[in-house]
Amino acid sequence: MNAVNAVNAVNAERKDVLLRAERVSLDLGGHRILRDVSLEIRNLVCPGKITGQVVGLLGPSGMGKTQLLRILAGLAAPTEGSVRLTPAQVPVRPGLVGVVTQDCALFEHRTVLGNLCVAGRQAGRSAASARAEARALLGRFGLRGQEALYPAQLSGGQRQRVAIAQQLMCSEHYLLMDEPFSGLDPLAQSEVCRVITEVASAHELNTIVVITHDIRAAIEVADELWLLGRDRDEAGRPIEGARIQATYDLVSRGLAWHPDLAHAPELAPLVEEVRGRFAQL
Amino acid sequence: MIAQGAQVLTPNRRVSSRALVLLAATQVALALWLWGSASAGVLPRPGEVARAVGALWADAGLGSALLTSIGTSLEALAITAAAGLLISYSTVLPFFRPVVAAVTTGRFLGLVGLTFGFTLLFSGGHALRVSLLVFGMTVFFVTSMVAEIRALPARAFDHARTVRMGEWRVVLEVVVLGTADRALELLRQNAAVGWTLLTMVEGLTRAEGGAGAMLLDRNKHLRLDEVMAIQLCVLAVGFLQDRALGALRRLVCPHADLRVEGGRTS
Repeated sequence: MNAVNAVNAVNAERKDVLLRAERVSLDLGGHRILRDVSLEIRNLVCPGKITGQVVGLLGPSGMGKTQLLRILAGLAAPTEGSVRLTPAQVPVRPGLVGVVTQDCALFEHRTVLGNLCVAGRQAGRSAASARAEARALLGRFGLRGQEALYPAQLSGGQRQRVAIAQQLMCSEHYLLMDEPFSGLDPLAQSEVCRVITEVASAHELNTIVVITHDIRAAIEVADELWLLGRDRDEAGRPIEGARIQATYDLVSRGLAWHPDLAHAPELAPLVEEVRGRFAQL
Repeated sequence: MIAQGAQVLTPNRRVSSRALVLLAATQVALALWLWGSASAGVLPRPGEVARAVGALWADAGLGSALLTSIGTSLEALAITAAAGLLISYSTVLPFFRPVVAAVTTGRFLGLVGLTFGFTLLFSGGHALRVSLLVFGMTVFFVTSMVAEIRALPARAFDHARTVRMGEWRVVLEVVVLGTADRALELLRQNAAVGWTLLTMVEGLTRAEGGAGAMLLDRNKHLRLDEVMAIQLCVLAVGFLQDRALGALRRLVCPHADLRVEGGRTS
């Protein structure tokens, strides 16, 4: 870690709560999928640096990560509990939180520009303002010149960036990403990490939750990790309903915003620690 | 040459459009040769059929009959599109689902049995023809469209909601606009079904004219060369109608064919 980042990490402070889930439970088909999930994301303030917040939500397959994402996005109602966007304490509803799904859903019948403009119009912008904002976002994401293409003509990486840009046209500060690293080669994965970091650092309140299996990639982009999994009874059998089993503050561990994470001595022990927890979930 | 020949007999092999045209031309020539050499005494030869086309066109009003058929077909197609889409889209409302299910069940009804009822319901031969065609096409069109709508993944609806669309706007964006290309493709397929039915339906009320009425008339008098001539013209018009609807689909939904590009062939 260089000197500047060391100072930043020491001075970084988690302040106001931006998103809070309280005792969220979900039953589906007679099974408890989530049990008493409580979590909060606080505004991470770091003097002299716009950081935003990036949380990595890790967990083995079938733990209900995607269901939790749908609840956090307001797309599904929990059986019990609530999700609020603070400081106004607004109950979450569809449209307030952006979602980029694993398949990077877009409107296939609209062009790239059309996809962004329709989202901008839905957010209440005028046609001219939506178009200008869309063009600016496309430029920021290296998609200038692709405006007239249809989603089917884009590469996987381009499609993901368009999907992120579309959500940013609507949701002001919150973005949930489901398995953004799935099936990507290392170079493409680095590019996704770069985009996530860029979006997070564009505004102090920008808050991104990345749902993934990829421990190393999650550490690369996140400032905090949540581990979702099930408890076990005395006989070692898993108990129905996943909850947050552990959180890891990467800022205090000196791993957030690290300029050379691959060579950071703290990285390998943390990866091993998280991997070890995976086996018990 | 041998290598190229082997390629067209290799499964899943992609060949150039030029090679496809060459293949089609060769196979048409082969079919004409087989027809000319093997049909002696049973079927009229290609030359006789070609001469019959000329004679029917010049003296018997084949062009006008085909225009009548095209007009009836297009009218029925327009009504089918409007009614079929309305019925299909209404499936998003639970209230209308039993009605939609009843319409799709209509495809098990025999068209001949319906003729009696439709004759009582609609006055005039033209209305009877159009209504029978509309029924024949709509029940299949709605069945296929409803299957398309049901196959839309839940995540497509969720995606629309994440960009702040209300439920009616979700329906417009995901169900109506999102399936427009498939709706046009299904309409094209059902137009082909309607065109096949048309000659039979035209036979019910011959006074209205049309290629079907002319066909039955020539058939009755065993004018096989003229029957084949009319059939070939019906085939050509049906093929052109299909191509025109395909072009309309590409024009209205330019994204449609991008989705299937690079499919399973190499």
